[in-house]
Amino acid sequence: MLQQVLRAFEEAREPLNLVDLARQLDVDQPALEGMIAYWVRKGRLKESQATASSCRAECGPTCASGAGPCPFIGKMPRIITLVGTEE
Amino acid sequence: MTVIGTAALNAPIYVRYQPDIEDELTRLSTAIGQTPLLQRYHPRWLAIQLLEGDSGLLTEVQNAPNGAPVLQVLNDSQARLRAIYNEDIDVILTDQRYRFVNTLVRRVLTRPATQRETLSDRVDKIVTHRLLGIPIFLALMWLVFKLTTDVATPYLEWVEEAIGGPLTNQLVALLTLIGLDGTWVESLVVDGIIAGVGGVLVFVPVLMTLYLALAILEDSGYMARAAFVMDRLMHILGLHGKSFLPMIVGFGCNVPAIYATRTLETEKDRILTGLLVPFMSCSARLPVYVLLATIFFPAYSGLVVFGLYMLGIVAAIGLGFALKHTLFKTKDRVPFIMELPPYHLPTLRGIWTHMWERTASFIRRAGTVIMATSILIWLLMAIPTRGDGAFADTELDDSAFATVAGVVAPVFAPLGFGSWEASGALVTGFIAKEVVVSTMSQIYGVAEEEEAAEPTTLVDDLGQVVTSFAGATIDTLRAIPLIIGIDLMGTEAEDEAEPAGLMRAAQSNFEVSSGGHGALAALAFMVFVLLYTPCVAVIAAARQEFGNRWMWFSVVGQLVIAWIAALVVFQGGRLLGWG
Repeated sequence: MLQQVLRAFEEAREPLNLVDLARQLDVDQPALEGMIAYWVRKGRLKESQATASSCRAECGPTCASGAGPCPFIGKMPRIITLVGTEE
Repeated sequence: MTVIGTAALNAPIYVRYQPDIEDELTRLSTAIGQTPLLQRYHPRWLAIQLLEGDSGLLTEVQNAPNGAPVLQVLNDSQARLRAIYNEDIDVILTDQRYRFVNTLVRRVLTRPATQRETLSDRVDKIVTHRLLGIPIFLALMWLVFKLTTDVATPYLEWVEEAIGGPLTNQLVALLTLIGLDGTWVESLVVDGIIAGVGGVLVFVPVLMTLYLALAILEDSGYMARAAFVMDRLMHILGLHGKSFLPMIVGFGCNVPAIYATRTLETEKDRILTGLLVPFMSCSARLPVYVLLATIFFPAYSGLVVFGLYMLGIVAAIGLGFALKHTLFKTKDRVPFIMELPPYHLPTLRGIWTHMWERTASFIRRAGTVIMATSILIWLLMAIPTRGDGAFADTELDDSAFATVAGVVAPVFAPLGFGSWEASGALVTGFIAKEVVVSTMSQIYGVAEEEEAAEPTTLVDDLGQVVTSFAGATIDTLRAIPLIIGIDLMGTEAEDEAEPAGLMRAAQSNFEVSSGGHGALAALAFMVFVLLYTPCVAVIAAARQEFGNRWMWFSVVGQLVIAWIAALVVFQGGRLLGWG
């Protein structure tokens, strides 16, 4: 089952959403989340999410809002990528 | 979902692994059982932990007397399993546990033959549909800009009247009271600060409407879908799908969008996305579009603004496609999964927080960066470099600002806006895009200042503010049904109002500089504003993230692209007989 998750990433031709992947693999979404978390711990998948907190830390004085949290960044969806398939 | 056979769960359950793994577990358990110090652990549990490589327990075994035979059995077992499965042993064991749990769940749960779709699922089927997704995204964006321009315009005019009338009157009265009327201080306050900062603050209602619409889209969960849909398009074009996430952030402000490129894995993708982000039209550019679209395309201002935003996306995708197949060639295989949050009704509090944070940020900028720039521009406009004027009492054409801007102006002549006024606004726009509007407001405001208002009392002014607010509210309510083509009050029959003050001066300037093709020149100007360097903060962010070389590549590239695109719009439009 764990291998199926990695295979789904490898064989994906276009971005998938988590709900569709759970349906495709015929597993519950919490179980899929667990398997993804496992592969993230193993370093085979990578999770990323652009959030306001990253702006607060990095934007600093150059940001439109000064030192506070940058207001111009919504919480972007969490995305999970296969590691080691990029050049 | 029904749970059956719960009684069976009272008995202890052992996960049964594949026979070859069970054989190794038995061997290892036996060895552990023969080591007295390890007998405080359940032998099978310890065997599994050791096979999975638990470092703490491994150390304990190494330190235990007679631990060596256990380690020998462990090493042999690991070697045999690796040879069979060609995979880390902890992966094999975890995989088999998941299989066991999955089988168990299937045995004890009866699920409906077909899963019931949630409302989110049903909506997602439409909005993330392969064919419908992009048209729906475009339609929503069109609605956002239609709302932004049509609904907010009456309030824009109200703020403009309040700043240009009552506020200016009262400040002038105050300056007169302290004996500063007619001095350079009055010029600084009226022509510098009020014209510059006020000229930008006029657009607060427009931006609040934009932020309101974006907050609703974000809080409802749609923005994630928009990113998903556009990701798919980017992926089809051979671009990195994840690039669109920072690009969507760029609609608000390009600076955090540049930093958001850190979510991309490779340096090439980060730089490529960083080069594309500035083409996403940030909210600071909106006042420029609204100002010029209202003057030159009053009946289609929403469509013009929407078109400019779309042009930004098309330019980014087109450039990305070209760069991806030349400078940034990679073996592009970056499959990914995106989590789409469930839809929910946005809360008033959430929407207000989003809207207010962004509006407050805009107002803070008006009070800092824009005020400082306005004062600097006023100073340049006050210093005479030719003619016989004096400080703060000179013809604008003779000012230092006109002289400096005049040097750059010929570059823009083929684009239809080769006047020192327009080119001066573009040069100051490097500081921040709102400054384009504040500079135009200062230049054209001074040009129109002969229309001095008659003296009024504070009560008159307050009365005017309240009355015109009520008028703006009525006009806004009239405008809402008009968005979908319903004319409840016969408003379309009303004549278009003549542009006043600043707008008339701007219109006249574009008409003159373009040889009578003012609308085309204004369109070319807006295209240039869309595509050239957003602001110094973006340049600083690009330098920090990608280094000097790519920063310069980005700045020069944007200028060249903006110039060519504006040229195509102006000269192409003239050839086709438009404008």
